[in-house]
Amino acid sequence: MTAKLVVEGLSHHYPDEYTGIDVHALDDISLEVEEGELVSVVGPSGCGKSTLLNILAGLLPYRVGTATVDGIRIEGPGPDRGVVFQEHAILPWRTVNKNIGHGLEIKRMPRDQIAKRVQEFVNLVGLAGFEDKYPHELSGGMKQRCAVARTLCADPVIMLMDEPFAAVDAQTRITLQEELNRIAMATKKTILFITHSVDEAAFLADRCFVFSARPGRLKAIVDINIPRGDRIWSDMNANADFLAARDEILKLVREEVSVATEE
Amino acid sequence: MQQRNDATGTQGPGLGWRINKLLQLDAMNLVILVIAVYIIWSVISALIDNPARYLPSPIAVAMSSVDMLYKGLLPSYFGDTLVRLIFGSAIGLILGIPFGLLLGINRTVADMFHPIMNFFQSVSGIAIFPIIVVWWGNSDKTIFAVILYTAFFPIAFNVLSGVREIPIRYISAARTLGASRYQIIKDVLFPGAMPHIATGSRLSIGFAWRAVIAGEMLAGRQGLGWMIFTGQDADNTAEVILGMVMIGVTWIILDHYLLRPMEADTIERWGLVQR
Amino acid sequence: MSDTIAKEGAAGGILASLSIAIQTRIGRQKLRKIILGSIPFLVLFVLWQMNTAFEWLPAVFIPPLGDVLGAAITLQEDCVGIGGALAMDNTCLLTNHIFSSIGRVILAAVIGLPLGIGAGILAGMNRTVSRYLEPVGVFANSISGIAWIPLAIVWFGVGWMTTLFIMLNTIFWLMFFNAMLGVRGVAKVYEQSVLTMGGSRWDVIRHVYLPGAMPSIITGMRISLGFGWRALIAAEMIGGDSGLGFMIFVSAEEFKIEEVFLGVIIISLIYMATDRYLLAPLEKWTVERWGLIWKPT
Repeated sequence: MTAKLVVEGLSHHYPDEYTGIDVHALDDISLEVEEGELVSVVGPSGCGKSTLLNILAGLLPYRVGTATVDGIRIEGPGPDRGVVFQEHAILPWRTVNKNIGHGLEIKRMPRDQIAKRVQEFVNLVGLAGFEDKYPHELSGGMKQRCAVARTLCADPVIMLMDEPFAAVDAQTRITLQEELNRIAMATKKTILFITHSVDEAAFLADRCFVFSARPGRLKAIVDINIPRGDRIWSDMNANADFLAARDEILKLVREEVSVATEE
Repeated sequence: MQQRNDATGTQGPGLGWRINKLLQLDAMNLVILVIAVYIIWSVISALIDNPARYLPSPIAVAMSSVDMLYKGLLPSYFGDTLVRLIFGSAIGLILGIPFGLLLGINRTVADMFHPIMNFFQSVSGIAIFPIIVVWWGNSDKTIFAVILYTAFFPIAFNVLSGVREIPIRYISAARTLGASRYQIIKDVLFPGAMPHIATGSRLSIGFAWRAVIAGEMLAGRQGLGWMIFTGQDADNTAEVILGMVMIGVTWIILDHYLLRPMEADTIERWGLVQR
Repeated sequence: MSDTIAKEGAAGGILASLSIAIQTRIGRQKLRKIILGSIPFLVLFVLWQMNTAFEWLPAVFIPPLGDVLGAAITLQEDCVGIGGALAMDNTCLLTNHIFSSIGRVILAAVIGLPLGIGAGILAGMNRTVSRYLEPVGVFANSISGIAWIPLAIVWFGVGWMTTLFIMLNTIFWLMFFNAMLGVRGVAKVYEQSVLTMGGSRWDVIRHVYLPGAMPSIITGMRISLGFGWRALIAAEMIGGDSGLGFMIFVSAEEFKIEEVFLGVIIISLIYMATDRYLLAPLEKWTVERWGLIWKPT
């Protein structure tokens, strides 16, 4: 296996927008994401997860350390990294179809090819029958399916997901997690998934990166040795491997939370 | 996003960042802007033929203000205009608010008067001027009527709309508690329409301000509008520009430091029925 | 006997079904509002007619409706057919004034709206631009269009250019503000999502800012044309040599009150027609189509 995303010695400081006081967000982060792998990143709030994602997405310039995708240094946003945002970032003035095909449109792909490919992804995420609806006519869960399909349709090397299911209700969330697992298996996509939910991190990932409280450091890597194809929530609650992995992650995160509160 | 981060995202709070913050300050910004406008204005004024007629330099305008202050004309014109605005819009509001509320008490009456109020609101006060001038000639009465008309309809219309937008269930709820008609007005309709009253008042005063200036120009009564009009007639362009600056500054002060904060406060406080 | 009853029944049935058909077609609530809303207009109309009959106020103050309509005919008296009116022949007094005003509105809209939208989008995107353009705009707006009239007369003389300038100046700044606020209201995440798909700045403008600010832009068009129309009428009165504003002003000086009434009514009708039947529905349509949400949900 080859590493798709390589981060080495990445550190990041920024002055607070209002006070100007220096914020040390990331400290010497080194990690690799293999091809076809789904890794999750968890940590207490303010641990720099989002900063990391913004740097990888190219939305935040960085100076210390390197981050490469397929060996090419990340400089600004690009179609090789698709991002699924926390909020509903699909455009309200485009229909589901037009949203999903947007990345291809930007690449100037011919219309008929776009239509074919879009249909494929509409079916994959289960939005068939909603192609011509506007986002405000969709439920929260459907909006995020649309966002995932949009990102996948543009065929990025790696998909970055920033707490994508944080805004949906608990029931939908479980369904979306299982769906994402299925879609990720079907497309063999490399995914970096950021979340603050330990359950979510353990359920979805091959490996889970646990971050420390600010400044964010890579504290531990927890392997979850359950074939991703076998993961269904109804089985997981009785799966000893899953429970063990989840408890370990939980323990690691809680140590950080208590550190943060003691400060 | 990208550019902003380039500027503030990567460097420490060093000198660059501090200068950047300083440039973002409103006051600093305004000073730079005023200097820039002054320079551009002066340069254009120096380059054109006959600047006294087409674009007198800022200094010439300032000098004319000194001259007019000395003669006592400027404060007198300014006072005339302000008095007209205050009286005209105050009476417009005093009449318009209860009128809108009264029409709004009954839903049937409200629906009945909504279209005609809409019609009168869209007849601008300035267009009414020629009619009134036939009635009363070029008098203060004419200007006053134009101001009153312009101020009255926006506020009355807004109050009426505000009352119409109050959900019926609020009124029903008050009724089931045994509220009298007066109590419904006092406790439901008036507070419910409050944000609209605030917005309508600001609108009305804004329209009235334009009407004062236009009315003074058209009817030839002393005031800022008259000052810029006669300034043009007498080829005294410096006076015209001075008048324009005064009109602009007065409105900025009135709107940004008095009316807008008042509107925002009211909407925040009574904002239950906010759109 | 039974025949007439049957006939009456049939007629009643037709009337009833007609009434139901109208009610279902227009909607009961709407029909009620239309009928109620027309009552004050009717009352006003009757009062006007009664004033003519009883002369409570003399005809030089409130002209009879017949005179007002007659004025339209008198003004167009020497005009030869629709062709002459469209060719803006010198004899077609009324239509010339109407076309002259509307022509300026269209010209000002065609020039002023795109410029205002462009500058507004630029200012909405870029903080540095807006930091310097915004105060200028606040000031320009505060000198309400009308106060520019004397200076415009100095620069361009009495006539077409002055009136066009006043309208342009009024439209541009209002449009600028609405477009700018519209762009600022577009959630950052939309811009980021297009950038992360490899979109260029131009893609962001086309796919995010322009559609995202569209409801605000349409509202701005509505507001700026409304204010522009008022400013134009004033400008025509003070610094024009044609147009409806000029017409009513001159008529007032000549005490031709019926022409003044005619002009005022036409001015209002043109405004109401464009605002309520063109711009307001357009505004409603954009907002509804995009589900009220240019704010993130």
